[in-house]
Amino acid sequence: MSRRNLELVFLVLAGAVSTMAYVSVYAGRFREIKSDSIVYGLVFVGIFLLLHVLERIFLPQADSFLLPITALLAAIGLTEIFRIKPDLARVQGQWLLVGAGLFILTVLIVRDHMKLDRYRYLLGAVGLALLVVTIVIGTTVNGSKLWIHAFGFSIQPSEFAKLAIVIFLAGYLDDKKVMLSVPQRHVLGVPVPAFKYFGPLLVMWIMSLAMLVFMKDFGMALLFMSIFVALMYMATARAVYVAAGAGLFAIAGAIAVYFVPHVHERFAIWLDPWKDPLVSGYQLLQSLFTIADGGITGAGFGRGYLLYANHVPVVPELQTDFIFTAVANEMGLLGAVGIILLYVLFVWRGFRIAVYAPDGFSKLLAAGLATAFAIQTFIIIGGVTRLIPLTGVTLPFLSYGGSSVTANLVLVALLLMVSNRTNIIRGGTELERRRLAEKG
Amino acid sequence: MNKAMSRVFIITAVLFVALVVNLTWIMVVRAQWFQDRPENKRSIAKEMKIKRGDIVGYDGSVIAGTQRRSGYYYRDYPNGTIAPQLLGYDSVQYGRSGIEAQLNDVLTGQSSDLGVQNWVDKLLGRQPKGASVKLTIVPGVQKVAQQELQGQRGAIVVLDPRTGALIASASAPTYDPANLEDQWSRLSKDTSAPLLNRPTQGLYVPGSSFKVVTASAGLDTGAVTPDSQFVDTGTYVIFGGKVTNYGGEVFGPNNFTYALTASINTTFAKVGNKLGRKRLITAAQQYGFYKTPPLPLPAGEVVPSGRYGKKGLLSPNAFMDPLSVAWAACGQDQWLATPLQMALVAGGVANGGHVMKPYYTQEIVAADGTVVSKAQPEQWLLATTATTAAELNTMMQNVVNSGTGTAAALQGIQVAGKTGTAEKGDGTNLAWFIGFAPAQDPKVAIAVVIENTQATGGEAAAPLAAAVMKTALAQSSLP
Repeated sequence: MSRRNLELVFLVLAGAVSTMAYVSVYAGRFREIKSDSIVYGLVFVGIFLLLHVLERIFLPQADSFLLPITALLAAIGLTEIFRIKPDLARVQGQWLLVGAGLFILTVLIVRDHMKLDRYRYLLGAVGLALLVVTIVIGTTVNGSKLWIHAFGFSIQPSEFAKLAIVIFLAGYLDDKKVMLSVPQRHVLGVPVPAFKYFGPLLVMWIMSLAMLVFMKDFGMALLFMSIFVALMYMATARAVYVAAGAGLFAIAGAIAVYFVPHVHERFAIWLDPWKDPLVSGYQLLQSLFTIADGGITGAGFGRGYLLYANHVPVVPELQTDFIFTAVANEMGLLGAVGIILLYVLFVWRGFRIAVYAPDGFSKLLAAGLATAFAIQTFIIIGGVTRLIPLTGVTLPFLSYGGSSVTANLVLVALLLMVSNRTNIIRGGTELERRRLAEKG
Repeated sequence: MNKAMSRVFIITAVLFVALVVNLTWIMVVRAQWFQDRPENKRSIAKEMKIKRGDIVGYDGSVIAGTQRRSGYYYRDYPNGTIAPQLLGYDSVQYGRSGIEAQLNDVLTGQSSDLGVQNWVDKLLGRQPKGASVKLTIVPGVQKVAQQELQGQRGAIVVLDPRTGALIASASAPTYDPANLEDQWSRLSKDTSAPLLNRPTQGLYVPGSSFKVVTASAGLDTGAVTPDSQFVDTGTYVIFGGKVTNYGGEVFGPNNFTYALTASINTTFAKVGNKLGRKRLITAAQQYGFYKTPPLPLPAGEVVPSGRYGKKGLLSPNAFMDPLSVAWAACGQDQWLATPLQMALVAGGVANGGHVMKPYYTQEIVAADGTVVSKAQPEQWLLATTATTAAELNTMMQNVVNSGTGTAAALQGIQVAGKTGTAEKGDGTNLAWFIGFAPAQDPKVAIAVVIENTQATGGEAAAPLAAAVMKTALAQSSLP
């Protein structure tokens, strides 16, 4: 079966599962199926069919798994958001449309991701600027400064900065990897390459620390630092960078825990949420209680107790940061592990694309995006389940939030472009190869 | 490069495995442990899947019913706000209180004494069906009591002195129980304490209404008779202090009956000192002071009356100097009493000295319609002798006929009672009226307290008592 036909089969399967979930929620809430619910469903199906057709034309040999996984996660997220706050589901649906638009623009304008390497410094600067702008004019929400309010929208620039910085790092590291792996000097036994090559990376590292201090957000800093360290390691294969990066971040983290009150509080809640179960520990404890209630099979979509009598969610921010809590309650351990497996599958496809890619930039780009996706998913699921301290990052495709869903759809587009190019070079038709050459 | 990438992927995979292990730990291994945490109110949500039994009034009208939304039963209140503080709430956010908490096992059908059908259901693993509870609260009387309190702070307790059945229990200010969650933050911060069930939790200086207890002790011990003669000069000097009358009045020569009728402090101070600390405290204990009245409610929702110090209820053996005893005989000093306790005092006198156990459950009806249990009135305390009770009854009739309590009088029905006015020192009074009617054959006993008023008990509380008793006695049936 061709890649696109396989994708279509997967999409249909994802559609079937999503429909069942949606019907279950809708029937639970309204006790009947109304026509407008079908309209929403059709719009959703339409979005992903459109992306599928776009792939058939422009990315014929792209990976078959990524889009169906995205569709399934987005459908479950949308269903759960609809179940928690029906008004927000419509907004999220509109963001999904915007995200699909950006996906299409990315494919149509960029055409070949190799072109992105030419703009690596520009993109790096844009990424950096987005973060600086957030620090300067950002609004503090729930103690973290991650948001910009502009034109009536709340934008989380770090979601987009993440993509820009991965592209920059992939290009830069691919270029300088030899210099970086052959250090000229040693400082305290640690090999240090020439400052010329190391400089921009130092900026990245300082940026991560600045995020910790100024954005007061451990999660985002950890995410950027992880991307940075992982890419350094993958580019140079030198474990010393991992050790140094982890060590430096650990020191910075420890300092932040002591000196940044918000980070300190999050850390204290993580250590002992029972200390103040009604105020500071409330959100995390309610999350744990709600997850524990899910049991093995869950209450069923739309059937868990997620809203109080006055429609206030049982866990504050249930539709955004804590969406996984809602899913675990209603789908149970089996469903929650299923969701995690979908993320693992996504990440695996990302790395697979990286491994098969013919050039260093493509490899690092795909691996960087996959790492970013994986770490972000881990940080928030680990946070709501008290495996690690809770920080406010979104769960890709499931959480309510425009910036998250649009940025992650662009991430999917980039991965698909890399895989399309790889597969064409490795075994595409003559026609496909010629068209790829024209694009470049 | 590929090898490093594989390694990074393996690391991320390990992280995801850690997530799965942790989830299994929470959702399977420790699930029960999480459910048993006192901070976890989700068990309430589980029980909301059970059709919660109705709480109905004595007339059979539904006070608290249920409404099903998305598979969960929520309380609704088809007949408006009726005794919300006594009924309590059933909220996943804020827990349970009042009758909803006390009778939860019955209302959710999980109580072991709900009969065979219930037991069979349990055996077959079926969802239990909640039993409904019929209260002794008479909605018609309750509503009037609430109306009378509207715009004021205070409480009204009405009970049947012969059985102890609670006919009305009103607490003001009140709230609408229908959307408690939305109002919670406002209600819980409100300094006028609308969530407080004043009849059983409100502690007030009883003032002159306590003179009934002092009189009971005086008559019981033979220290005085209704005709004992006293002379009032407006001031009774004792132990370096003095006892004066309300408003600085001077009454001159008076007998004991008149002293109660006009509420003469100096006479009661003298009687108090004649009785002494021990006998006065013993009399109070006989009426229920220093004990938690056995009205079945969650811990802390019924509080004992008695002499209170900075650290709460004092021991009945706590030291009192003669000046304290003198003021205590007038209901001042350190006395604090709940409206329920004062209604029990009135009820004890009305019922020939027998204080009945207060209760609010008339009957419990299982989901299949069978009556599982019916109220069995029981005596709680023997407060005084029948003779003393009869003498007090006559004296209290005088209070209403020609004394401070004339505003409590009813056309064609003899009312007996006692007023109280406790000056709070901030320029406001606590106004009391306790009493019962008809005096010859008492069917209702009442306690009314009004906070923050400029008026006396006779002015602010007695008219409310009249209106509520009139309504109660006009009912075709009472518990």
